[in-house]
Amino acid sequence: MKKRITGVILTLAILLVIPLQGLAATPKETVETGVNKVLKTLGDPAFKAKPKDQQIATIGAEIDNIFDFKELSRRTLGKQWKKMSAGQQTEFVELFKELLQGVYADRLLAYSDQKVIFDKEIMLKKGRAEVQSYLQTSDGKKIPLFYRLTDKSGSWKVYDIIIEGVSMVKNYRTQFRQILAKDSPDKLLEILRDKVKKS
Amino acid sequence: MSVDPARKALYLVAVTAFVVVFCGYTPAGAFNNEPLDNTLLLAQAETPQGEVPDQAEQDEDDEYDDDEYDDDEYADDDVDLISDPLIQGNTDFYNFNDTMYFWLLKPVSRGYGFIIPEELRVAVRNVFYNIRFPVRFINCLLQGKGKKAQYEFGQFFINTTVGFLGIANVASNYPHLQPSKEDLGQTFAVWGIGQGAYLMVPFFGPYSLRHGIGAVADTVFDPIFWLFDDLYVSLAIRAGETVNDTSMRIGEYEALKEAAIDPYVMIRNAYVQNRNKLIAE
Repeated sequence: MKKRITGVILTLAILLVIPLQGLAATPKETVETGVNKVLKTLGDPAFKAKPKDQQIATIGAEIDNIFDFKELSRRTLGKQWKKMSAGQQTEFVELFKELLQGVYADRLLAYSDQKVIFDKEIMLKKGRAEVQSYLQTSDGKKIPLFYRLTDKSGSWKVYDIIIEGVSMVKNYRTQFRQILAKDSPDKLLEILRDKVKKS
Repeated sequence: MSVDPARKALYLVAVTAFVVVFCGYTPAGAFNNEPLDNTLLLAQAETPQGEVPDQAEQDEDDEYDDDEYDDDEYADDDVDLISDPLIQGNTDFYNFNDTMYFWLLKPVSRGYGFIIPEELRVAVRNVFYNIRFPVRFINCLLQGKGKKAQYEFGQFFINTTVGFLGIANVASNYPHLQPSKEDLGQTFAVWGIGQGAYLMVPFFGPYSLRHGIGAVADTVFDPIFWLFDDLYVSLAIRAGETVNDTSMRIGEYEALKEAAIDPYVMIRNAYVQNRNKLIAE
Protein backbone atom coordinates (compact mmCIF):
# COMPACT_ATOMS: atom_id res chain seq x y z
CA MET A 1 0.00 0.00 0.00
CA LYS A 2 2.81 2.34 0.97
CA LYS A 3 4.59 1.51 -2.26
CA ARG A 4 1.56 2.43 -4.32
CA ILE A 5 1.13 5.76 -2.62
CA THR A 6 4.80 6.54 -3.14
CA GLY A 7 4.41 5.57 -6.77
CA VAL A 8 1.41 7.83 -7.22
CA ILE A 9 3.11 10.74 -5.50
CA LEU A 10 6.23 10.30 -7.61
CA THR A 11 4.21 10.17 -10.82
CA LEU A 12 2.28 13.27 -9.87
CA ALA A 13 5.51 15.08 -9.01
CA ILE A 14 7.01 14.22 -12.37
CA LEU A 15 3.86 15.19 -14.21
CA LEU A 16 3.80 18.53 -12.45
CA VAL A 17 7.39 19.34 -13.30
CA ILE A 18 7.27 18.50 -17.00
CA PRO A 19 4.69 21.08 -18.10
CA LEU A 20 6.54 23.76 -16.08
CA GLN A 21 9.72 23.00 -18.01
CA GLY A 22 7.79 23.18 -21.23
CA LEU A 23 6.33 26.56 -20.28
CA ALA A 24 9.70 28.29 -19.92
CA ALA A 25 9.72 30.42 -23.05
CA THR A 26 12.84 30.86 -25.13
CA PRO A 27 13.97 34.38 -25.97
CA LYS A 28 12.62 34.13 -29.49
CA GLU A 29 9.28 32.83 -28.29
CA THR A 30 9.03 35.65 -25.77
CA VAL A 31 9.61 38.35 -28.34
CA GLU A 32 7.56 36.70 -31.02
CA THR A 33 4.56 36.14 -28.76
CA GLY A 34 4.77 39.64 -27.36
CA VAL A 35 5.19 41.42 -30.68
CA ASN A 36 2.54 39.33 -32.42
CA LYS A 37 0.14 40.13 -29.63
CA VAL A 38 0.80 43.83 -30.11
CA LEU A 39 0.39 43.52 -33.88
CA LYS A 40 -2.88 41.68 -33.37
CA THR A 41 -4.12 44.47 -31.13
CA LEU A 42 -3.08 46.99 -33.75
CA GLY A 43 -5.16 45.19 -36.36
CA ASP A 44 -8.25 44.94 -34.16
CA PRO A 45 -11.04 47.27 -35.42
CA ALA A 46 -12.19 47.97 -31.84
CA PHE A 47 -8.70 49.15 -31.01
CA LYS A 48 -8.47 51.31 -34.10
CA ALA A 49 -11.62 53.12 -33.01
CA LYS A 50 -10.09 54.26 -29.74
CA PRO A 51 -8.47 57.70 -29.34
CA LYS A 52 -4.71 57.87 -29.87
CA ASP A 53 -3.61 58.23 -26.26
CA GLN A 54 -5.72 55.27 -25.21
CA GLN A 55 -4.16 53.26 -28.00
CA ILE A 56 -0.68 54.14 -26.82
CA ALA A 57 -1.61 53.25 -23.23
CA THR A 58 -2.93 49.83 -24.29
CA ILE A 59 0.12 49.03 -26.34
CA GLY A 60 2.35 50.34 -23.58
CA ALA A 61 0.82 47.86 -21.16
CA GLU A 62 1.45 44.97 -23.55
CA ILE A 63 5.01 46.06 -24.18
CA ASP A 64 5.59 46.07 -20.44
CA ASN A 65 5.34 42.28 -20.53
CA ILE A 66 8.37 41.84 -22.74
CA PHE A 67 10.57 44.77 -21.70
CA ASP A 68 12.60 45.03 -18.52
CA PHE A 69 12.66 48.79 -18.12
CA LYS A 70 14.68 48.71 -14.92
CA GLU A 71 17.46 46.79 -16.63
CA LEU A 72 17.22 49.16 -19.57
CA SER A 73 17.52 52.19 -17.29
CA ARG A 74 20.47 50.71 -15.42
CA ARG A 75 22.44 50.01 -18.56
CA THR A 76 21.63 53.36 -20.08
CA LEU A 77 22.79 55.31 -17.05
CA GLY A 78 25.83 53.13 -16.38
CA LYS A 79 27.95 54.46 -13.54
CA GLN A 80 25.41 57.20 -12.83
CA TRP A 81 22.77 54.66 -11.81
CA LYS A 82 24.50 53.86 -8.53
CA LYS A 83 24.92 57.54 -7.81
CA MET A 84 21.18 58.10 -7.82
CA SER A 85 19.01 57.61 -4.76
CA ALA A 86 16.39 54.88 -4.72
CA GLY A 87 13.65 57.46 -5.18
CA GLN A 88 15.42 58.99 -8.15
CA GLN A 89 15.99 55.58 -9.66
CA THR A 90 12.33 54.64 -9.39
CA GLU A 91 11.21 57.89 -10.91
CA PHE A 92 13.75 57.59 -13.71
CA VAL A 93 12.57 54.09 -14.61
CA GLU A 94 8.96 55.29 -14.67
CA LEU A 95 9.67 58.33 -16.84
CA PHE A 96 11.97 56.50 -19.22
CA LYS A 97 9.37 53.77 -19.57
CA GLU A 98 6.67 56.29 -20.44
CA LEU A 99 8.88 57.96 -23.00
CA LEU A 100 9.92 54.75 -24.71
CA GLN A 101 6.48 53.16 -24.63
CA GLY A 102 5.07 56.22 -26.34
CA VAL A 103 7.75 56.21 -29.00
CA TYR A 104 7.67 52.48 -29.63
CA ALA A 105 3.87 52.36 -29.73
CA ASP A 106 3.80 55.35 -32.05
CA ARG A 107 6.24 53.67 -34.42
CA LEU A 108 4.32 50.40 -34.37
CA LEU A 109 1.14 52.26 -35.23
CA ALA A 110 2.91 53.92 -38.14
CA TYR A 111 4.21 50.62 -39.41
CA SER A 112 1.09 48.64 -38.50
CA ASP A 113 0.47 47.38 -42.02
CA GLN A 114 3.98 46.03 -42.41
CA LYS A 115 5.09 42.47 -41.98
CA VAL A 116 7.35 41.45 -39.14
CA ILE A 117 9.61 38.52 -39.89
CA PHE A 118 11.37 36.73 -37.05
CA ASP A 119 14.68 35.24 -37.99
CA LYS A 120 17.53 33.97 -35.83
CA GLU A 121 17.90 33.56 -32.11
CA ILE A 122 21.50 33.86 -30.91
CA MET A 123 22.67 33.09 -27.39
CA LEU A 124 25.26 35.54 -26.10
CA LYS A 125 27.59 35.44 -23.14
CA LYS A 126 26.53 35.99 -19.55
CA GLY A 127 22.93 34.86 -19.82
CA ARG A 128 21.94 37.13 -22.69
CA ALA A 129 20.32 36.50 -26.03
CA GLU A 130 19.60 38.29 -29.27
CA VAL A 131 16.51 37.79 -31.39
CA GLN A 132 16.73 39.09 -34.95
CA SER A 133 13.63 40.33 -36.70
CA TYR A 134 12.97 42.29 -39.87
CA LEU A 135 10.35 44.85 -40.71
CA GLN A 136 9.16 44.36 -44.28
CA THR A 137 7.93 47.71 -45.55
CA SER A 138 5.43 48.17 -48.32
CA ASP A 139 8.02 49.72 -50.61
CA GLY A 140 10.16 46.62 -50.46
CA LYS A 141 12.76 47.48 -47.85
CA LYS A 142 13.77 45.16 -45.02
CA ILE A 143 14.68 46.97 -41.84
CA PRO A 144 16.67 44.91 -39.34
CA LEU A 145 15.28 45.12 -35.81
CA PHE A 146 17.23 43.14 -33.21
CA TYR A 147 16.13 42.57 -29.61
CA ARG A 148 18.57 41.91 -26.79
CA LEU A 149 17.22 39.94 -23.86
CA THR A 150 18.35 38.84 -20.42
CA ASP A 151 16.77 36.27 -18.10
CA LYS A 152 18.09 37.84 -14.91
CA SER A 153 14.56 38.33 -13.62
CA GLY A 154 13.68 34.67 -14.15
CA SER A 155 12.05 35.03 -17.54
CA TRP A 156 13.43 36.49 -20.73
CA LYS A 157 12.91 40.22 -21.07
CA VAL A 158 14.17 42.82 -23.55
CA TYR A 159 16.73 45.35 -22.40
CA ASP A 160 17.81 46.82 -25.73
CA ILE A 161 16.59 47.26 -29.28
CA ILE A 162 19.04 47.59 -32.17
CA ILE A 163 17.58 49.18 -35.29
CA GLU A 164 19.81 49.14 -38.37
CA GLY A 165 22.82 48.71 -36.16
CA VAL A 166 21.88 51.50 -33.74
CA SER A 167 21.57 50.32 -30.14
CA MET A 168 19.01 52.27 -28.16
CA VAL A 169 20.89 51.83 -24.91
CA LYS A 170 24.13 53.14 -26.39
CA ASN A 171 22.35 56.04 -27.99
CA TYR A 172 20.55 57.19 -24.86
CA ARG A 173 23.65 56.64 -22.81
CA THR A 174 25.47 59.29 -24.85
CA GLN A 175 22.58 61.69 -24.45
CA PHE A 176 22.29 61.19 -20.70
CA ARG A 177 26.02 61.34 -20.21
CA GLN A 178 26.02 64.73 -21.89
CA ILE A 179 23.39 66.05 -19.50
CA LEU A 180 24.81 64.47 -16.35
CA ALA A 181 28.27 65.84 -17.15
CA LYS A 182 27.14 69.31 -16.24
CA ASP A 183 23.87 68.83 -14.32
CA SER A 184 22.55 66.82 -11.40
CA PRO A 185 20.30 63.75 -11.69
CA ASP A 186 17.39 65.93 -10.59
CA LYS A 187 17.88 68.09 -13.64
CA LEU A 188 17.82 64.99 -15.82
CA LEU A 189 14.57 63.89 -14.19
CA GLU A 190 13.15 67.35 -14.79
CA ILE A 191 14.08 67.20 -18.48
CA LEU A 192 12.48 63.77 -18.75
CA ARG A 193 9.35 64.95 -17.00
CA ASP A 194 8.96 67.84 -19.43
CA LYS A 195 9.62 65.58 -22.38
CA VAL A 196 7.02 63.02 -21.32
CA LYS A 197 4.46 65.72 -20.58
CA LYS A 198 4.89 67.25 -24.02
CA SER A 199 4.41 64.02 -25.97
CA MET B 1 31.21 73.40 -65.38
CA SER B 2 32.09 71.53 -68.57
CA VAL B 3 34.55 68.70 -68.70
CA ASP B 4 36.37 67.93 -71.89
CA PRO B 5 34.54 64.90 -73.39
CA ALA B 6 37.79 63.28 -74.39
CA ARG B 7 39.02 63.35 -70.80
CA LYS B 8 35.70 62.03 -69.60
CA ALA B 9 35.91 59.16 -72.04
CA LEU B 10 39.44 58.41 -70.92
CA TYR B 11 38.34 58.21 -67.30
CA LEU B 12 35.47 55.94 -68.22
CA VAL B 13 37.77 53.65 -70.14
CA ALA B 14 40.24 53.58 -67.27
CA VAL B 15 37.52 52.68 -64.80
CA THR B 16 36.12 50.00 -67.08
CA ALA B 17 39.55 48.55 -67.70
CA PHE B 18 40.13 48.45 -63.98
CA VAL B 19 36.87 46.62 -63.50
CA VAL B 20 37.51 44.16 -66.32
CA VAL B 21 41.03 43.34 -65.25
CA PHE B 22 40.19 42.77 -61.62
CA CYS B 23 37.33 40.44 -62.14
CA GLY B 24 36.89 37.46 -64.38
CA TYR B 25 33.18 37.32 -63.96
CA THR B 26 30.76 36.03 -66.47
CA PRO B 27 27.00 36.45 -66.02
CA ALA B 28 26.65 32.72 -65.49
CA GLY B 29 29.21 32.87 -62.73
CA ALA B 30 27.15 35.42 -60.90
CA PHE B 31 24.40 32.92 -60.30
CA ASN B 32 26.23 30.15 -58.58
CA ASN B 33 27.68 30.29 -55.13
CA GLU B 34 30.97 28.53 -55.77
CA PRO B 35 34.08 30.72 -55.78
CA LEU B 36 35.55 31.27 -59.23
CA ASP B 37 39.07 29.90 -59.29
CA ASN B 38 40.40 32.51 -61.65
CA THR B 39 39.22 35.35 -59.44
CA LEU B 40 41.88 37.85 -58.56
CA LEU B 41 41.32 39.37 -55.14
CA LEU B 42 42.97 42.51 -53.89
CA ALA B 43 43.10 41.22 -50.32
CA GLN B 44 42.68 37.85 -48.73
CA ALA B 45 39.91 38.90 -46.39
CA GLU B 46 36.51 37.79 -47.58
CA THR B 47 33.09 37.56 -46.05
CA PRO B 48 32.13 33.90 -45.67
CA GLN B 49 29.53 32.91 -48.15
CA GLY B 50 25.99 33.64 -47.13
CA GLU B 51 26.99 34.92 -43.74
CA VAL B 52 27.01 38.44 -42.43
CA PRO B 53 29.23 38.97 -39.39
CA ASP B 54 26.71 39.18 -36.61
CA GLN B 55 26.58 42.35 -34.62
CA ALA B 56 26.01 40.00 -31.70
CA GLU B 57 29.37 38.34 -32.05
CA GLN B 58 31.15 41.66 -32.24
CA ASP B 59 29.32 43.17 -29.32
CA GLU B 60 29.86 40.25 -26.99
CA ASP B 61 32.92 41.87 -25.51
CA ASP B 62 31.50 45.35 -25.38
CA GLU B 63 30.22 47.36 -22.51
CA TYR B 64 27.18 45.17 -21.72
CA ASP B 65 28.54 43.84 -18.50
CA ASP B 66 27.84 41.34 -15.78
CA ASP B 67 25.79 41.44 -12.64
CA GLU B 68 28.39 43.37 -10.67
CA TYR B 69 28.21 46.43 -12.93
CA ASP B 70 31.79 47.46 -12.34
CA ASP B 71 32.71 51.06 -12.59
CA ASP B 72 35.68 49.88 -14.62
CA GLU B 73 33.21 48.98 -17.31
CA TYR B 74 32.53 52.65 -17.96
CA ALA B 75 35.78 54.20 -16.76
CA ASP B 76 37.37 54.83 -20.14
CA ASP B 77 34.27 54.07 -22.05
CA ASP B 78 34.06 56.04 -25.24
CA VAL B 79 30.43 56.90 -24.95
CA ASP B 80 30.59 59.69 -27.51
CA LEU B 81 31.81 57.38 -30.29
CA ILE B 82 33.25 60.19 -32.41
CA SER B 83 35.26 63.31 -31.70
CA ASP B 84 33.32 66.50 -32.23
CA PRO B 85 35.71 69.47 -31.99
CA LEU B 86 33.54 71.49 -34.36
CA ILE B 87 30.45 71.04 -32.21
CA GLN B 88 29.55 74.74 -32.22
CA GLY B 89 29.44 74.98 -35.98
CA ASN B 90 27.94 71.52 -36.28
CA THR B 91 25.07 72.44 -33.99
CA ASP B 92 24.35 75.52 -36.10
CA PHE B 93 24.42 73.47 -39.29
CA TYR B 94 22.19 70.89 -37.64
CA ASN B 95 19.62 73.53 -36.79
CA PHE B 96 19.86 74.79 -40.36
CA ASN B 97 19.30 71.29 -41.76
CA ASP B 98 16.42 70.75 -39.37
CA THR B 99 14.78 73.95 -40.56
CA MET B 100 15.43 73.05 -44.20
CA TYR B 101 13.79 69.68 -43.65
CA PHE B 102 10.58 71.01 -42.14
CA TRP B 103 10.27 74.14 -44.28
CA LEU B 104 11.49 72.84 -47.63
CA LEU B 105 12.26 69.17 -48.07
CA LYS B 106 9.27 67.73 -46.23
CA PRO B 107 6.55 69.87 -47.86
CA VAL B 108 8.03 69.34 -51.32
CA SER B 109 8.37 65.60 -50.74
CA ARG B 110 4.84 65.31 -49.43
CA GLY B 111 3.44 67.15 -52.41
CA TYR B 112 5.51 64.99 -54.70
CA GLY B 113 4.28 61.92 -52.84
CA PHE B 114 0.64 62.90 -53.29
CA ILE B 115 1.04 63.30 -57.03
CA ILE B 116 3.33 60.41 -57.91
CA PRO B 117 2.09 56.90 -57.01
CA GLU B 118 4.31 54.83 -54.77
CA GLU B 119 5.10 52.18 -57.39
CA LEU B 120 6.56 54.82 -59.65
CA ARG B 121 8.62 56.34 -56.86
CA VAL B 122 9.95 52.91 -55.94
CA ALA B 123 10.85 52.38 -59.60
CA VAL B 124 12.76 55.66 -59.68
CA ARG B 125 14.61 54.69 -56.53
CA ASN B 126 15.45 51.31 -58.05
CA VAL B 127 16.82 52.89 -61.20
CA PHE B 128 19.10 55.22 -59.27
CA TYR B 129 20.24 52.33 -57.10
CA ASN B 130 21.00 50.23 -60.16
CA ILE B 131 22.93 53.00 -61.90
CA ARG B 132 25.17 53.37 -58.84
CA PHE B 133 26.37 49.80 -59.31
CA PRO B 134 29.97 50.79 -60.20
CA VAL B 135 30.38 52.66 -56.91
CA ARG B 136 29.35 49.69 -54.80
CA PHE B 137 31.07 47.13 -56.99
CA ILE B 138 34.43 48.86 -57.03
CA ASN B 139 34.33 49.42 -53.30
CA CYS B 140 33.59 45.74 -52.74
CA LEU B 141 36.73 44.92 -54.71
CA LEU B 142 38.80 47.56 -52.93
CA GLN B 143 37.87 45.91 -49.65
CA GLY B 144 38.68 42.47 -50.97
CA LYS B 145 35.10 41.31 -50.66
CA GLY B 146 35.06 39.15 -53.75
CA LYS B 147 31.90 37.24 -52.85
CA LYS B 148 30.00 40.42 -52.20
CA ALA B 149 31.22 41.86 -55.51
CA GLN B 150 29.83 38.80 -57.23
CA TYR B 151 26.46 39.35 -55.58
CA GLU B 152 26.51 43.00 -56.59
CA PHE B 153 27.18 42.03 -60.16
CA GLY B 154 24.49 39.36 -60.11
CA GLN B 155 21.98 41.82 -58.75
CA PHE B 156 22.96 44.43 -61.35
CA PHE B 157 22.76 41.95 -64.19
CA ILE B 158 19.34 40.57 -63.30
CA ASN B 159 17.82 43.96 -62.57
CA THR B 160 19.20 45.52 -65.74
CA THR B 161 18.07 42.75 -68.06
CA VAL B 162 14.98 41.12 -66.60
CA GLY B 163 14.26 44.20 -64.51
CA PHE B 164 14.22 46.65 -67.45
CA LEU B 165 17.28 48.77 -66.75
CA GLY B 166 16.77 48.58 -63.02
CA ILE B 167 13.12 49.57 -62.79
CA ALA B 168 12.08 46.32 -61.22
CA ASN B 169 14.10 44.90 -58.36
CA VAL B 170 13.83 41.33 -59.61
CA ALA B 171 16.90 40.36 -57.65
CA SER B 172 14.96 40.79 -54.43
CA ASN B 173 13.61 37.30 -55.08
CA TYR B 174 17.09 35.99 -54.35
CA PRO B 175 18.02 36.91 -50.78
CA HIS B 176 21.75 36.51 -51.33
CA LEU B 177 21.63 39.01 -54.17
CA GLN B 178 20.78 41.83 -51.78
CA PRO B 179 24.20 42.84 -50.44
CA SER B 180 24.45 45.90 -48.23
CA LYS B 181 25.74 49.07 -49.87
CA GLU B 182 29.47 49.71 -49.94
CA ASP B 183 31.05 53.13 -50.38
CA LEU B 184 34.51 54.66 -50.29
CA GLY B 185 34.09 55.84 -46.70
CA GLN B 186 33.63 52.23 -45.65
CA THR B 187 36.60 51.21 -47.80
CA PHE B 188 38.80 53.71 -45.97
CA ALA B 189 37.59 52.27 -42.67
CA VAL B 190 38.41 48.73 -43.77
CA TRP B 191 41.86 49.96 -44.77
CA GLY B 192 42.35 51.15 -41.21
CA ILE B 193 41.91 54.88 -41.64
CA GLY B 194 40.39 56.54 -38.58
CA GLN B 195 37.03 58.24 -38.85
CA GLY B 196 38.18 61.78 -38.08
CA ALA B 197 35.95 64.52 -36.75
CA TYR B 198 32.18 64.67 -36.95
CA LEU B 199 30.79 66.98 -39.60
CA MET B 200 27.19 68.08 -39.92
CA VAL B 201 27.15 69.25 -43.54
CA PRO B 202 24.49 71.74 -44.66
CA PHE B 203 21.93 70.03 -46.92
CA PHE B 204 23.78 66.74 -46.93
CA GLY B 205 23.52 65.70 -43.30
CA PRO B 206 25.86 63.95 -40.88
CA TYR B 207 29.31 62.77 -42.00
CA SER B 208 32.61 61.77 -40.51
CA LEU B 209 35.66 63.34 -42.17
CA ARG B 210 36.53 59.92 -43.60
CA HIS B 211 33.04 59.34 -44.95
CA GLY B 212 32.82 62.86 -46.36
CA ILE B 213 36.04 62.55 -48.34
CA GLY B 214 34.93 59.12 -49.50
CA ALA B 215 31.56 60.44 -50.63
CA VAL B 216 33.17 63.18 -52.70
CA ALA B 217 35.64 60.77 -54.25
CA ASP B 218 32.86 58.26 -54.97
CA THR B 219 31.42 60.65 -57.54
CA VAL B 220 34.27 59.61 -59.81
CA PHE B 221 32.63 56.18 -60.04
CA ASP B 222 29.11 57.54 -60.27
CA PRO B 223 27.79 57.32 -63.86
CA ILE B 224 25.30 60.13 -63.26
CA PHE B 225 28.18 62.49 -62.60
CA TRP B 226 29.67 61.68 -65.98
CA LEU B 227 26.47 61.64 -67.97
CA PHE B 228 25.83 65.35 -67.68
CA ASP B 229 28.25 68.13 -68.61
CA ASP B 230 26.57 70.76 -66.55
CA LEU B 231 27.21 70.67 -62.80
CA TYR B 232 23.86 72.29 -62.10
CA VAL B 233 22.00 69.56 -63.97
CA SER B 234 23.81 66.94 -61.91
CA LEU B 235 22.88 68.75 -58.72
CA ALA B 236 19.27 69.08 -59.82
CA ILE B 237 19.11 65.37 -60.44
CA ARG B 238 20.60 64.74 -57.03
CA ALA B 239 17.97 67.01 -55.50
CA GLY B 240 15.21 65.19 -57.34
CA GLU B 241 16.53 61.89 -56.13
CA THR B 242 16.53 63.19 -52.56
CA VAL B 243 12.92 64.33 -52.84
CA ASN B 244 11.95 60.94 -54.24
CA ASP B 245 13.68 59.06 -51.42
CA THR B 246 12.36 61.36 -48.72
CA SER B 247 8.78 61.01 -49.93
CA MET B 248 8.93 57.39 -48.85
CA ARG B 249 10.56 58.11 -45.53
CA ILE B 250 8.50 60.92 -44.12
CA GLY B 251 8.00 60.41 -40.41
CA GLU B 252 11.32 58.75 -39.65
CA TYR B 253 13.20 61.91 -38.79
CA GLU B 254 10.25 63.20 -36.77
CA ALA B 255 10.12 59.93 -34.81
CA LEU B 256 13.82 60.25 -34.08
CA LYS B 257 13.34 63.74 -32.72
CA GLU B 258 10.34 62.60 -30.69
CA ALA B 259 12.40 59.90 -29.03
CA ALA B 260 15.40 62.11 -28.36
CA ILE B 261 16.26 64.01 -25.24
CA ASP B 262 18.95 65.78 -27.25
CA PRO B 263 18.34 65.36 -31.01
CA TYR B 264 21.79 66.60 -32.06
CA VAL B 265 23.54 64.01 -29.91
CA MET B 266 21.07 61.30 -30.83
CA ILE B 267 21.64 61.79 -34.54
CA ARG B 268 25.40 61.96 -34.18
CA ASN B 269 25.43 58.76 -32.13
CA ALA B 270 23.00 56.95 -34.44
CA TYR B 271 25.08 57.99 -37.46
CA VAL B 272 28.28 56.50 -36.05
CA GLN B 273 26.61 53.28 -34.87
CA ASN B 274 25.00 52.82 -38.26
CA ARG B 275 28.27 53.44 -40.09
CA ASN B 276 30.05 50.93 -37.88
CA LYS B 277 27.43 48.35 -38.74
CA LEU B 278 27.78 49.03 -42.48
CA ILE B 279 31.55 48.85 -42.26
CA ALA B 280 31.36 45.49 -40.52
CA GLU B 281 29.16 43.97 -43.21
